[in-house]
Amino acid sequence: MSRTRQLMAHLRDALGSAEPLPRPEPLPAIPPPPARVYTPRPERRPFAAEAARHTTALVGIGHVGTRYATDVVLQFQAELAVAHAAVGALLPEDWAPQNGFTALKTRVKDHREFLLRPDLGRRLDDASVEAVRRCTRNPDVQVIVADGLSAVACMGSGKQLYEAVARACQARGLSVGTPVCASFARVWLEDEIGQEVGAKVAMILLGERPGLGTGDGLSAYVVHEPRIGKTDGDRNMISNIHPRGMPIDEAAARLAALAAAMIEQRTSGVTLDLARLGLASERTPRPPQVRQKLVNA
Amino acid sequence: MILEPIVPTVLSVRRLPHADPALVRAYGGDPAKHTSLGLVTVDQDDPTYVALDEATKHAPVDVIFAKSFYAGSAHASGRLSGEILGVLGAADPESIDQALDALLRCLAHDACFYDADGKRTVTVFPHVISSLGEYLSREAGLAPGEPMAYLVAPPIEATIGLDAALKAADVRAVKVMTPPTETNFAAAWLTGTLDECEAAAVAYAAAVVDVAGAPK
Repeated sequence: MSRTRQLMAHLRDALGSAEPLPRPEPLPAIPPPPARVYTPRPERRPFAAEAARHTTALVGIGHVGTRYATDVVLQFQAELAVAHAAVGALLPEDWAPQNGFTALKTRVKDHREFLLRPDLGRRLDDASVEAVRRCTRNPDVQVIVADGLSAVACMGSGKQLYEAVARACQARGLSVGTPVCASFARVWLEDEIGQEVGAKVAMILLGERPGLGTGDGLSAYVVHEPRIGKTDGDRNMISNIHPRGMPIDEAAARLAALAAAMIEQRTSGVTLDLARLGLASERTPRPPQVRQKLVNA
Repeated sequence: MILEPIVPTVLSVRRLPHADPALVRAYGGDPAKHTSLGLVTVDQDDPTYVALDEATKHAPVDVIFAKSFYAGSAHASGRLSGEILGVLGAADPESIDQALDALLRCLAHDACFYDADGKRTVTVFPHVISSLGEYLSREAGLAPGEPMAYLVAPPIEATIGLDAALKAADVRAVKVMTPPTETNFAAAWLTGTLDECEAAAVAYAAAVVDVAGAPK
C-alpha cells in the first residue's frame, strides 16, 4: 500500500472516523523477471587445482553460467574489505617511540592528503629534518620503517623485519644507522633521509599497497647513494614480505646481501649486477599458499 | 467519508511511436531525443504530476509537457480532457510503454486526492514523495532522490494547512503556489527528511479537514 495512503488511514483513525474505508483495489501481481537457473561448474581440471594450490590469486574458481559463484564473490568482497581497511588504517603517533624508533613525519597533514598527494609524502617536514640531522652520521645502511599504504602491515611485522635486517647487515660487517620510523611516507622518502644522514645505502621498509586479502604485506626498497632526485630505476626492491609470501628471515638475508652488493659495486637499480649476488638473486620454488577463507557462504 | 481516497480517473492513454518533429518541438521536446511520445489525460492534475515523475524513475523518459487546465476537471472542455495533459518523450516506444505502466500504477495505487469533508466538496492532496524523480526534482530545484511533501488544497484550506505543516515539522518550503492556480487551488512543495515530510503532510491534511468541518 502506498505510504501516503497509509498515513491518511492512520490520520483518519486518529480523527475518530469509525466507518471502515472501502477495501483498496488489490495490487496487480508484478511478474517476476525472467529467470534462468545455472548450475555451478567448479573447476575440475587437475592443472587448475594444482595452480590454485600455489597462489592466492583467483585461479581455478569455476563458474556459474557466465559469472562467479556466490562464495567466490563473497570471498572477493571480504578480501577487498581487508585491503580497504588496511589503506584506511593510521599509524598511532606513539607507535614509533614505543618500539624504539625515532619518529619522523612527512609534509602530509592528514590521511586524505597522504592518498592524494604522493609528492608531499616524499619529503620530511622541518621538525623531522632536524630530527634526522641528530641521527648517527654516515652509516653504511640507513634503514627506515614506514607506514606506506598499509599501517596495519607496518605495525604487524615492521619492527620484526627491521630487527632481522639490522642483524643481517651487522653480520656482514655493515654499520646500521639510527632506527627511524616515518609516518605518511612514500618510497622516495628514503632519498631525503639517506641524503641527510649521509648513508651509503638507504633502505625503506614500508606497508605495501594492499591486494586482495593481503593488508599485511611489507615491501623493501633499497637505493645506493640516496639523493633527492633518484628514480625507480635506481632502486632494487622486494615485495610481498608476509607469511604467505616471502618470510621475514629470508627477506632480511636478501636485503642485507643487496645492500652489501650495492656498496661493493657502487651502484643500484638496473645497473646492479644481480648475477654476482648469489643468494639474493636465487629463486626457489614457493611453498603452496593456502587461501584463508573469510566468508562461509 | 473523511479522508477516503478519491482515485483519479485516467481518461485517455495514447502512444505516438514516431511523432512528427514539429509536434515534439512545439510541446517542448527535443526531436533528436524524443521520437516516441506517450500522452495521458486524467481528471486530477496533481496526482498526475507525481505519476509522471514516478514514470521517470522507471524508464529513460522525459516529461516534455505537463499542464493543468483552467478551472479544473469539473469545467473540462470535453469528455476526455480532464484536468491535465501529460506528455512523456523517449527515444523508443518500449521506454514509453514501461513509463506509462509505472504512471498508471502510481495513479491507481498511490497518488490521489482525499475527501476532506465527507461530501467530496472539499478535497486535499497531502502526498509524500519518498524519493524524487528526475522531473519534479528539476521543477523543485532539488536533487533526485530527495523526499518532498506535495501539498494541495483549495485556497483557504491550503493557507491554513501550509501554516500547520510548517509548524508541525522541520521542513523547508521549496515552492509555494498561492491561489489561484489554473485549477483554482493552492499548493506547496516542502522538503526535509522523509519523516519530517510525512509529519508535514499529516498535519496539512488534518488542518484541511479541520477547516472544511468548521469554516467559521
